Amino acid sequence: MNNGSVKVLVTSGRTLSQGRAMEKGKMTSDYENAVAVCELDSTAMESLGIKNGETVVVKSDIGEIAVKAKLNKQLVPGIAFIPCGPYFNFLLDSYTQHTGMPGFKSLTVSIDAAPGAKILTVEELTKMIKEAT
Amino acid sequence: MTEANNIFKDVPCTFCGCLCDDLIIEVDGDRIVKNTNGCPISKERFVGHTENRCLQPTVNGNTVTLEKAVERAVELIASSKRPLIYGLSSTENDAQREAYRLAELARGVVDNTTSVCHGPTILGAQESGEAAASLAEVRHRSDLVIYWGANPAAAHPRHIPHYIRQPGEYIKDPKQDRKIWLVDIRATTTARMADRFIRIEPGTDLEVLQTLRALIRGNKLDATEVGGINITELEEIAAAMKSAKYGTLFFGLGLTQSWGRHRNIDAAIRLIQDLNAHTKWGMMPMRGHYNVSGANKTSTWVTGYPYAVDFARGYPRFQPGEYTAVDMLARGEADVLLNIAADPVAHFPRAAVSHLMKIPVINIDPKINMTSQVAEVNIPAAIAGIECDGAATRMDGLPLYLRKIIEPPQGVIPDRDILRMMIKSLEKVMK
Amino acid sequence: MTEHLVLKNGVVFDPMNDVDGEVMDICVSNGKIVEKVPGNAKVIDLKGSTVMAGGVDPHSHILGSKLNVARLTSPEVNRYHPYPATRKTRSGVAGIIPSSYATGYLYSAMGYTTVVEPALPATKALGAWEEIEDIPGLDIGMLPLFCNSMISFKYIEEGDISGLAAYIAWTLKKVGGLGVKVVNPGGTYAWAYGKNVCGLDDEVPEWDVTPRTIMTGLSDAVQKLGLPHQMHFHPTNLGKPGNVYTTMQQLDALKGTKPSGKKKETVHLTHMAFDCLGVVEEGMANWKDVASGGLTFADYYNKNKHFTTDLGQITFGQSMTMTGDGPFQHSLYLMTGGKAKWSNIPVDVELPGGAGIVPFTFEPKSSANAVQWVGSLEFALSVKDLWRLFLSTDHPNGGPFMKYPLLMSWLMSKKQRDLWLEKVHKFASERSTLAEIEREYTLNDIAITTRAAPAKILGVEKTKGHLGIGADADIAVYGFNPEKTDLAKNPDLILKYFTQTKFTFKGGQQISKKGVIAKQLPSRVISVHPELNEDLSRRIDRELEEMMSKWFSHSFSNYPVPKRYREHLEMPTVIDATSIQA
Repeated sequence: MNNGSVKVLVTSGRTLSQGRAMEKGKMTSDYENAVAVCELDSTAMESLGIKNGETVVVKSDIGEIAVKAKLNKQLVPGIAFIPCGPYFNFLLDSYTQHTGMPGFKSLTVSIDAAPGAKILTVEELTKMIKEAT
Repeated sequence: MTEANNIFKDVPCTFCGCLCDDLIIEVDGDRIVKNTNGCPISKERFVGHTENRCLQPTVNGNTVTLEKAVERAVELIASSKRPLIYGLSSTENDAQREAYRLAELARGVVDNTTSVCHGPTILGAQESGEAAASLAEVRHRSDLVIYWGANPAAAHPRHIPHYIRQPGEYIKDPKQDRKIWLVDIRATTTARMADRFIRIEPGTDLEVLQTLRALIRGNKLDATEVGGINITELEEIAAAMKSAKYGTLFFGLGLTQSWGRHRNIDAAIRLIQDLNAHTKWGMMPMRGHYNVSGANKTSTWVTGYPYAVDFARGYPRFQPGEYTAVDMLARGEADVLLNIAADPVAHFPRAAVSHLMKIPVINIDPKINMTSQVAEVNIPAAIAGIECDGAATRMDGLPLYLRKIIEPPQGVIPDRDILRMMIKSLEKVMK
Repeated sequence: MTEHLVLKNGVVFDPMNDVDGEVMDICVSNGKIVEKVPGNAKVIDLKGSTVMAGGVDPHSHILGSKLNVARLTSPEVNRYHPYPATRKTRSGVAGIIPSSYATGYLYSAMGYTTVVEPALPATKALGAWEEIEDIPGLDIGMLPLFCNSMISFKYIEEGDISGLAAYIAWTLKKVGGLGVKVVNPGGTYAWAYGKNVCGLDDEVPEWDVTPRTIMTGLSDAVQKLGLPHQMHFHPTNLGKPGNVYTTMQQLDALKGTKPSGKKKETVHLTHMAFDCLGVVEEGMANWKDVASGGLTFADYYNKNKHFTTDLGQITFGQSMTMTGDGPFQHSLYLMTGGKAKWSNIPVDVELPGGAGIVPFTFEPKSSANAVQWVGSLEFALSVKDLWRLFLSTDHPNGGPFMKYPLLMSWLMSKKQRDLWLEKVHKFASERSTLAEIEREYTLNDIAITTRAAPAKILGVEKTKGHLGIGADADIAVYGFNPEKTDLAKNPDLILKYFTQTKFTFKGGQQISKKGVIAKQLPSRVISVHPELNEDLSRRIDRELEEMMSKWFSHSFSNYPVPKRYREHLEMPTVIDATSIQA
């Protein structure tokens, strides 16, 4: 068991529960539960020493944020997935290669176990960004 | 549409670009109680239409009349130097057309959500054209369907069951006579629905596409694998694509948002064009928002350009990377944002969101979203396709008429009418 | 509000009423031309100006999905042609494929008031109606495509012309069409299989139909319905050297259709410049041996009176080819060595193979382009009866409609032709007789081929294309005195005066002055609604519901364009087709 960080490429995208929650409303707990998630493969989970549903902190060049870890057996080692939404975007730089399109599909991050760390609500997240500006 | 006993038939769904128009919607009083045929997301949209609503216009959090909210919005726009109008993909065409008029009048920039979904698809098509496909034709004729970087099981839940795994005029058995392949960097839920999953390494789409082009042209490559796929498997894939009778490539944001952006699309377009020298192939972007195709279409006919349009000089100019919303915000250029039917606070990267929080935001949306939380002016809107009519465009370009099923909440009006009020008021100010 | 107007002292060219350059007054009341107006009418003195009816353009791609795909994929053709907003008008772009508002304004500035979009996929008609909201100042018609539709094939296969006619009638009513367009019958369908057709009796995949049975079936159905506009026909083999011979074969094949009314012509062959390429004597059907087919076709035209035609003139420079002829567009893409941007748009059930779009530049120094350019001019200057001909560039295929004045200058001025023959590849002179042709179109000839004849060909001559009593007050006033201006000797003046009218009136309202839009009027839509008898109507409703539910991917009830998009724009002409038996 190794409790050090894991470096992965994290990609974002749609999930069914994210879509449903978004249609219901973004200020619902459904939405937060759907998007404040990081899907990891089993080797990453093992290496972090965490169980399904425990909190991890995901760190990119521009910031870090706590989300809930979720085992996805279909993922290959080295790749993680965070549903598209404010938690992923908090970590993402705005460079578009002059195309208008940010790099939603390829963000290098390191992940640390953070059992018990608080996951911000959508409102708290908004407030935090606002206060930092 | 037929309507009897508060049951509406053949209703188009206004969630994703599939615009499935076979929904049966049941209404009880002022609420929708049942959505038959819709996918789980569609059901949430229709049956949950009253949840999380913004019901009153507000300025700085205080409830005001619609007129007051419009007045404040117009003040903000009139006094700005570089207004940005954004969103428009989850509303109907008339609202979009009014937004262009407003942008022209305010000499601002108008961009739709294309810039963060299939913008690169359009840029690729501007390099190379595009051999498109259409949905009924795929059903009737396509014997090989490839999804590339798309996850319809999550984003377009009925795409496969409603349009593709269905018998057609010349494909009698959709399981036997039509093969569905998926190319992606991870085995998504769609992989379970596909006949074959081809995993590629992240960021290698361009190499894989170009390799397939080379192989289809009969070139031998001095490589043992590309993008994590063995060259013999790639040769076999190329041969299968060439020998399909009528192939279709559906592609998603896995291709537009990853390393390479529009170059990936350009390569995919050229691959499909090359294949047409041998057999028949078409391609289609998996458009997300139900009317993002409509936003491109209306913007194109009114302004000449599909998105990222600047009216600063009194005529439209097009420059993605410059007049696209993320860039306008991340550069700190926009000094007011009018957001219509989108949620940039949730969906833009952080620097763009940070700037957005420094400038006045006017937010028009039926629901409370993350952008409402930071907007100075919030104006509630009727939900198109549920509370007001309009037209929208399916992912293959088919226009469909959206229904008004029930009345919007008291005092709430459609996006287009809010925008007309703003235009009328701004016209007076600009005189 | 009643508006009365007298246009005094203009020199009028109104060939439908045998007026050839007479000074006369035109009275306008409530949007119509009338015999006299009350004394308080507004008077405009047009002394020394040329007056014609508003221009009528029955073949110009001004809207629809293929045009928007072209705009979307080729922003570079519009980038350097901004069209700024004014206090009265909207902005846009005005390159070879102008944006919607600019399209309306530019036509108004040229004195054109009626324009027909000749290729509408009926399934997508809702989008077309929305777009018309943003094209101001015109009366607009649309021609749905019926030539590669599985539904047409089903009726043609069964020899059921009544069913075919009823399908056409149903569609024209449900989507607001004006007539029937036929493009490469069977060929575009075959393109869904990567194939094409070339001979009249070629097989079409999966169906027991041929180009011959499709085109004759549709032209019979059009006559059976008594539609005012004859079948609008884009033949097979478009753009192939030597196709003048196959075009004549196809026109021969259509002679069997009996005209149903007074009008003798049963087919309109469109953009003949693309359909009538010849070859040199003993040459092969290839680009090396291509020659003008103009004289050959003029001879055929002079002898055969069952058809009308338009030029589809190429004008050199950047153009945007777009046709419902998918396999042709693909072959054009291959001709560029696969360098061009090739787009293809299939349409569910109605156009399985798909329309195509390829940006193309016609080069004056290209032998092939020079020969194509000269062929249609040679034809236009060699035909006897101008009443069966109208001027067109097949906008934007041969060039944008804004180049009509240039086309007029070639027809009106031998001097201009000689200048251009110097500029273009020598094959234009060597492989045609243009250099020897002395004929110059008169203003009356121009009035025929840009107003009167196209109005008659469209079947809208009651209200369009002339200045007689009862006509719509659509009027173009050009700022030159025909008695004092020698246009033939000064071709630059043709360009100057025909690019911008002095005034354009639409429905009696002045909408532009010296090219500046004075008033933005909403466009209207001209359509034809054939009434079927109850039996046939019931039958077609049932059969179409069955076929459309099975074949389309959207619901049958969502096919028609809803009233909300139509009722404020549409001016339908109801025609009686109840005599067609079920």
